Amino acid sequence: MSKNLSAVVAHIAILLAVFIVCGLLSSVAAATDAGAAKFTGELEENATLRVLENDTAIKQGYLAELIAAFNEEYKDYHITVQDANMDQYTDLENDGPYGYGPDVLYQANDRIMRYPDGKHILPLPAEEFDCYDKISEKGWQAYRRTVAGQEYTFGIPVNVQGPLLYYRKDLLPENWESEWDDDGDGIPDMVEYWTDMYRFSKEIKEGGGGKKFGYMRSFLEPYFSVGYLYSYGGYTFGKGNTDPSDIGHSKGNAELGANIIRQLATVMDQRCIDDSVTTGAYAALASGEFFATITTPDVYTMFVDEMKAKGYTEDFIAENLVTTYIPKLPASGNLEDESQGFIECNMMGGVQGYAISSYTKYPNAALAFVKFATSYEMIKRRNELLGIVPARGDVADEVGGLSEVINNNLEAGNITVMPSIKENAQIWTPLQTLFQDLAKDAFRTGAEIKYATLDSMKEALQRVDQQIYDSIFTLQ
Amino acid sequence: MEDRKENVARKLGRGFRATLEKIKNFFLSLPARIKQKLAGAKEILTQGNGKVAASMVVMGLGQLLYRQWAKGILYLLAQLAFLAYFILKGAGDLIGFFTLGTHESNAWYGVEGDNSVIMMLMGILAIIALIFYFVIYLANVKDAYKIQCAVDTMKSPASFKKELSSLLGKNFHKTALALPIIGVCVFSVLPIIFMILIAFTNYGGTVVPPALVDWVGFENFTKILTLGQFAPTFFRIFGWNILWAVLSTFINYFAGLGLALLLNRKCVKGKTFWRLFPILAYAVPGFITLIAFKFMFSYGGPINQMITDAGGTAVGFLDIDAKWTARFIGLGVNAWLNIPSGMLLATGILSNVNTDLYEAARVDGASPWKQFVRITLPYVLFATMPVLISQFIANFNNFGIFYFLRGGLYMDGYFLASDTDLLINWLYNMSIDNNYYSIGAAISIIIFAVTSVISLAVYVLSPSYKQEETYQ
Repeated sequence: MSKNLSAVVAHIAILLAVFIVCGLLSSVAAATDAGAAKFTGELEENATLRVLENDTAIKQGYLAELIAAFNEEYKDYHITVQDANMDQYTDLENDGPYGYGPDVLYQANDRIMRYPDGKHILPLPAEEFDCYDKISEKGWQAYRRTVAGQEYTFGIPVNVQGPLLYYRKDLLPENWESEWDDDGDGIPDMVEYWTDMYRFSKEIKEGGGGKKFGYMRSFLEPYFSVGYLYSYGGYTFGKGNTDPSDIGHSKGNAELGANIIRQLATVMDQRCIDDSVTTGAYAALASGEFFATITTPDVYTMFVDEMKAKGYTEDFIAENLVTTYIPKLPASGNLEDESQGFIECNMMGGVQGYAISSYTKYPNAALAFVKFATSYEMIKRRNELLGIVPARGDVADEVGGLSEVINNNLEAGNITVMPSIKENAQIWTPLQTLFQDLAKDAFRTGAEIKYATLDSMKEALQRVDQQIYDSIFTLQ
Repeated sequence: MEDRKENVARKLGRGFRATLEKIKNFFLSLPARIKQKLAGAKEILTQGNGKVAASMVVMGLGQLLYRQWAKGILYLLAQLAFLAYFILKGAGDLIGFFTLGTHESNAWYGVEGDNSVIMMLMGILAIIALIFYFVIYLANVKDAYKIQCAVDTMKSPASFKKELSSLLGKNFHKTALALPIIGVCVFSVLPIIFMILIAFTNYGGTVVPPALVDWVGFENFTKILTLGQFAPTFFRIFGWNILWAVLSTFINYFAGLGLALLLNRKCVKGKTFWRLFPILAYAVPGFITLIAFKFMFSYGGPINQMITDAGGTAVGFLDIDAKWTARFIGLGVNAWLNIPSGMLLATGILSNVNTDLYEAARVDGASPWKQFVRITLPYVLFATMPVLISQFIANFNNFGIFYFLRGGLYMDGYFLASDTDLLINWLYNMSIDNNYYSIGAAISIIIFAVTSVISLAVYVLSPSYKQEETYQ
C-alpha cells in the first residue's frame, strides 16, 4: 500500500511542481510590449486602411469618392483605403483588441469619446491639422479629454448636428404679414417665437377638428426634448458635461422647460407621447396635416421626396419647404406669457468626427487619411453631397445659410453638444420616460394630473436626476 | 389503448420522467457508489504490484513493463502531451484563473496586458483539461491493475487490437460519445460555467477590459438582496414574473386545447381552412408580430384611429400609465403567438384518445363538461406536462414581449426597470444598457434556480409523474 501510495503522491508532486514553477513564471512575466502606435511622420508603405464611415456617406457615394481621391493622392506610397464594411455603430472597445476594428472611424462625439478611458483611440496632434484654427472651440471641446492628468484631443470634428425647425411657408395664414409679424422683420412670428407657434398651433387644432396641427413632434426622444430644460438652466452633467456625479436636469429653472413641454403637448394630439408620429412626420408635413416639426438637417431630402410624391414641383418645394433655427422661448417659461421677453432655445446637438484606433498598424497613414478627409475640399464636397453642417468655419461661412446659423449657435452656446463621457449612455431611458410622462400629463384629467404645478415638475426632474445617478453609481 | 401508437408528447413525457428517475437514482446511489469506488481504489493501492506502481508514477510505464506496447506508448504520449500543454500554457492559465490578471493593457504604448475575461475562459478550459487528464490517469492505473490481475490468474491480458476492436463493439458507446462530450464541454459547459463565474466577479460598470476584473465572492448576490434600490425592484418584478408565467402558460395552453377541441368537433365544417389561420400567425416571425402589435396599439395606430374617428379619445394602451392594460395586452399578444403551437400539440394528442371512453361516459350520462374534466383533460395533461413545463419556463423568460411592446421605460419605484418588465428584461437593462455584467449574471443564476425548482416541483406533483401507470 505504502509503495503504491508513494507512487500516486510522486505523480501528483510532479504535476504540482510543474504547476507551481510554470504557473508562477507565467504570472510574473512582464506584459508584452508590441510597440507603440506613434505618429512619427513617416508614412507606412503598402498600408491598407479600413475606414468606418456612416451609412449615409456610403449610400450617397461620398465614401467611394473620398477613398478614390485619397488612393490617387497617396498612390506613390502604395497606401490603400477601403470601406471597413462594418456596422456604423461598431464597438471598438470589444473589436479593437482582437484586430477586428477599423483603423479610422467616423462617429458622433458621444460614441467616440467612450474610447479614451480604455485608450482604444489615439490622441491626435490636432494643431497639425489645417482645420485646427477653422473649427470653433466648442467643436474641439467635444473631443478633448484629460487622461492621467494630461489633456488630449481624440477626434477631428467634421459635422455639427443640431435640430432645425421645418415648416411649410404655403400653410402660413394669408394675412401673416399683418397679423403674425409684430416685430416687422418679415419673418412670421410663429417660426421665431414659441409663444406664437403655440397660439398658431392652438388655432389650427381648434379649427381643424383634430385632423390638422400646427407644430407636431414626439417628445419621446430626449435629443429633441432635453433642450427645453437646458434653456432654463438645466444641464446633463456638471463641469461642462464632464462630471457624471453632478446631474443637473433639475437645476436652475429647468422646471419651466418641463412646463413648456407640457404646454406644447396640449396643441398636439396624443401622438406626441409615443414615437408613432416620428416616421410619419415627413408625409404629414407633405400632406399639410402638420404645419411644422423639428428634426435634424440631414433628413431634408425625406421631406422633399414626400412632397414630390404628393405632386408638388421642385420649385414649389424649394420655395415653401423652409428650414430655420428653433424659435425663441418665453423667459417666463409660460407659452401664454410674453411679458418677460424671450430667451434663445438651447437644444442638444452633436459633433461627428474622425478618430484613429489605437490598434491600427498604420498610425501615420491613418493620420494622413484623416488630414485628407478633413481638408477644405473634402469637407466642402461632403456638404454638397450629404448636406451636412460643416464644423470647419471657413466652409460653413462659404456655404452660408443654415451651416452658418448652426455654427454660430454652437459658438454662442445655443447648441449644447452631447456629453462626451460614457455615462451619457445612461441618461436616455430615464429622460425618455420623463418626457413621455410630461407629454401624457397634458391629456390627463382630474385627479390623474401629476404635474399641475411647477414644484411637482421640479420634483419629477429631481427624481430623474437621482435615477440617472443611481444607474451610474449604485453598482460601482 | 395499448394497441395505439404512442404519440410524441407521451414519449417526451416518459423520457422526462425517466431522466428524473435517473437523476434521483443517481443521487440516492451516490454514497454506495463512492463506497464501491473507494473500495476499488483501496484494492488497487493494496494489491497493485510494482508494475502498477510504475503506471502510477509515469502513465503507461506499467503497461510497457507488461509488454503492452501500444497502450503503454499511448498513455505515455497522453501524459507527455498534457505535461507539454501544462508547461507551455495550462499552468499559467490555471494561475490566471485565480488572479484574473496582473498587468493592465495600454494600447497607446502597445502594451498587451492581461485580459481578465479571456483569462477566466482559458482557466476554465485548463480545469476541464485537468479533469480529463485525471480521468485518463485513473483509466491508466485501472488498466495496469487489470493486466496484473489477468497475469496473476494465468490469463493472457486483452491485446491492444482486441481492446481497440471492443471500441467498435461492446464499448462503442464510448467511441461514439467521446467527440460529442468534448464538444459539449467546450461549447456548452464552458460558457455556462463562465456565465456562472461572472456572477462572482466585479466585471461591468467601469471594470471592463483593459481594466482588470477581480473575484468578489457573493457580493453581487448580497447587492441584489440588500441594496435599497435593488431588493424592492427584484421582488416586485419577481412577483409579476411569476404571475405572468402562470397566467400566460394557462391561457396559451387552455386556449390551444379549446381551439383544438372546437376544430375537432364533427359539426365544424372546413376544419383545414380554419386551422390555417392560427398556423399562419405561428409562421410569422415573432418580433415582426410584436412590432406590428406595438404599432396597432400606439397612439398613431389603427385602433386609436378608429376610436378617434368614432369621436372617442385616444387610449394609451401601452404608454407610461398603462401598467395593467399593457400587461393584459402582453398576455393577449403572447397568446396570439403561442396558441397555434398549443393547438397543434393538442390536436395530435386528441387524435389518440380512445373514443370508447367517451361512448361509455355518454352511456353513463356524463355531460360534455364532465367528459372533458374526467377524460380529456387528465389524458392531455398527462401527455403534455413536460411541454407545459417547458412553456412555463419559456414564458418566465419571455424577453421579446415587453421589450418590443413597451421597452425604454424606467418607472418610479423600480431600479432600471418598468412595471411590465420581467426578470429577463431587467437582466438585459442591467447588463446590456448599463454594463453591469456581473449583476446580470447573478440575476440569471437566480432565474435558473427559480425556474428549476418550480419546474421540478410542478412535475413531481403532476399526474405525469404520480399516475403514469393509469395511462399505460
